Amino acid sequence: MKGAGLAGLAGLAGCIGTGDPGSGGDGGDGSDGSDGSDGSDESDGGNGMASEINVWGWDVAARALMITSEEYESENDATVAVEEFGRSAMKDRLQTNLLSGSGAPAVSMLESVDGPSFIDTGSVAPLTDEIEEAGVQDDFVSGKWEALTVDGDIYALPWDTGPTAVYYRRSVYDEHDIDPDSIETWEEFIEEGQKLPDDQYMLNLPEGDLSGVWRYQFRQLSGEPFLESGEVNIHNEKSLRVARNIKEIYDADIAANIEGWTSAWFSAYGDATIASLPSAAWMEGTLRAELPDTAGDWGVFKIPALESGGPRASNWGGSNLMIADQVSDEAHARGWDYMEFSLATKEMQLAMYDEYGLFPALETTYDDPVFDKELDFYDGQPARALFAEVAQDAPGYRFTADTPEVSQAIETELQRMINGEQSPEEAVQAAAETVAENTDRDLA
Amino acid sequence: MRDQRRKDAVWRFLTYAFVITMVVVMMVPLYWMLVAATLPQEQFLQFPPRLIPGTAFLDNFAALQERLDFVRTIRNSVFIAVVYTLLSLVLCSMGGFAFAKYEFKYKEPIFYTILATLVLPIQLLVIPLFLLMAQLDWTNTFRAIILPWAANPIGIFLMRQNMKSIPDALLESARMDGATEFQIFYRIALPTMRSSLAALAIILFLFQWDLFLYPLVILESADMYTIPIGLAQLTGFQRIYYDQIMVAATLAIVPMVVLFLVLQKQFVSGILAGSLKE
Repeated sequence: MKGAGLAGLAGLAGCIGTGDPGSGGDGGDGSDGSDGSDGSDESDGGNGMASEINVWGWDVAARALMITSEEYESENDATVAVEEFGRSAMKDRLQTNLLSGSGAPAVSMLESVDGPSFIDTGSVAPLTDEIEEAGVQDDFVSGKWEALTVDGDIYALPWDTGPTAVYYRRSVYDEHDIDPDSIETWEEFIEEGQKLPDDQYMLNLPEGDLSGVWRYQFRQLSGEPFLESGEVNIHNEKSLRVARNIKEIYDADIAANIEGWTSAWFSAYGDATIASLPSAAWMEGTLRAELPDTAGDWGVFKIPALESGGPRASNWGGSNLMIADQVSDEAHARGWDYMEFSLATKEMQLAMYDEYGLFPALETTYDDPVFDKELDFYDGQPARALFAEVAQDAPGYRFTADTPEVSQAIETELQRMINGEQSPEEAVQAAAETVAENTDRDLA
Repeated sequence: MRDQRRKDAVWRFLTYAFVITMVVVMMVPLYWMLVAATLPQEQFLQFPPRLIPGTAFLDNFAALQERLDFVRTIRNSVFIAVVYTLLSLVLCSMGGFAFAKYEFKYKEPIFYTILATLVLPIQLLVIPLFLLMAQLDWTNTFRAIILPWAANPIGIFLMRQNMKSIPDALLESARMDGATEFQIFYRIALPTMRSSLAALAIILFLFQWDLFLYPLVILESADMYTIPIGLAQLTGFQRIYYDQIMVAATLAIVPMVVLFLVLQKQFVSGILAGSLKE
């Protein structure tokens, strides 16, 4: 698939950049890529683009950008230097660079969850005009844009997305006669889960990550933690519905309580002590890498609805690329050109998906045959098609700089709820009040 | 009499039991780190955890070295910490001597102003310092990491407290014999401060060794990274390279352990000196 993707590039070269092969980068190390001679670089034919830019990312995302930068360099007379960082290290550093107006790279990775808090620094360049001119907005899944838009301006271009699904162990479901196709609601999920023996669990519900569970289910119902006018809105009917659901799962005794990403957690999934894992498309990469012995025994189904016939799509995670507004116009122009090439073209998105499992937010990729491929990891199930369907249905979400406050309050109050100290109503009400007080907002 | 002896024995038993428990609590994570450094990632994730060392240390180290030149990272850290410690020892002991033994205008307000800077968290200083270094064109240099903290308030405070105990008569008689002020400081005052200097050396070294946020912002290229920055690069999102992190962490504590072993005797007496001699 990667081969096919790259082959298609030759045809693209004509419309992206200049395609004029030249002598490569100028070797300067200007961290914003604007070292004087850029604007007048002869081989660029005076298109006003810097000949060298820096790009920051972390983990596999940075590795994925190295694929596209190599392709980009081969088509354009420019150097795109991708630097790989640790995740939180990069966030700390980038935030300092943004706030101080100096030292940021032309292009950097921006997680959707961090969108508004980074945009609020006032140091991220709006890309509304570029996106409009390129006419690419409708090419991406609609749920991505909300977190990247502030006051009508768009500040980043979507990259990957995290369509949710429940991963399950086929052998366990088969052995205990659980039919994944018959599970449509959480109620049915719980019912099926009762079929498992006492030492096996239907899913994991760790105290310590209840807020993650709450968020994907709240988003599934198109819940928004804040109204557009700013009021706290986590004590509404939707939030209450989710809190009740979490309590029902907990009270049904089908959930294990193991902290995520620990060795105990991996081991419980490795030996099928826990039979299902509600998560997102990116989890496949982790399972493949850490639990290679389980390959072929997994399947996926859409997360159950909270009510019969209700929505079954949500989103968990996802990233974007942004441009710092402190870089020169030339670096900005080159940065955008590279971003558009990497994220808004089918071939590049598919190449990154194939190599590193970054599920494209570019909707136009979904009709590619790779999405219908029957995958051995899922015992022949064409799981990508399911993820693509979920990605298109997943509602948007208004992340804000106060999102961490919401997570913390929900975490605390839901924990008290499952410990029997308070009812779901009291829990969401208390969480809303805490958030309102800590963030100086009103209740909706 | 016998009762007393039995009571003593019980007390001693309880004391030892407590001390040993605490030692175990402190050592287990360290031991686990050493073991984990020798295990491949799959075994690291095993539960219950494996407690017998494996054989993958060199493989893990090779993988680490491939991702990030960690030997160089350690060298950077040692260089920065050693230069910083030496420089800061000189400045702090001079400053402390001045505050302890000289009279000058506004001495107390100046001293307390220096002390007051202790309450400023590093997070608050990072952005102004970064801007300053960017203007000086000092980003991505070691001097930008070393110089801002060279006159360390804790160091000045510690040296002042200890130098107060030097008898004025001693300094006075040296002065009568014609010693210059610098000779008095260097020949008379400093030699009596050996244990305090050793204690301060450890404190300063450790401060610089652990510094994270500031060097993270200042040091731009991977060949300049210090150990904490290097370690942070190993923590991704989907995959965390525990095996490599454990190798790196194990190597990272070696210089600290050596320093402690060399200076430990002086360290304890130096710390106590400040507290007892008031």
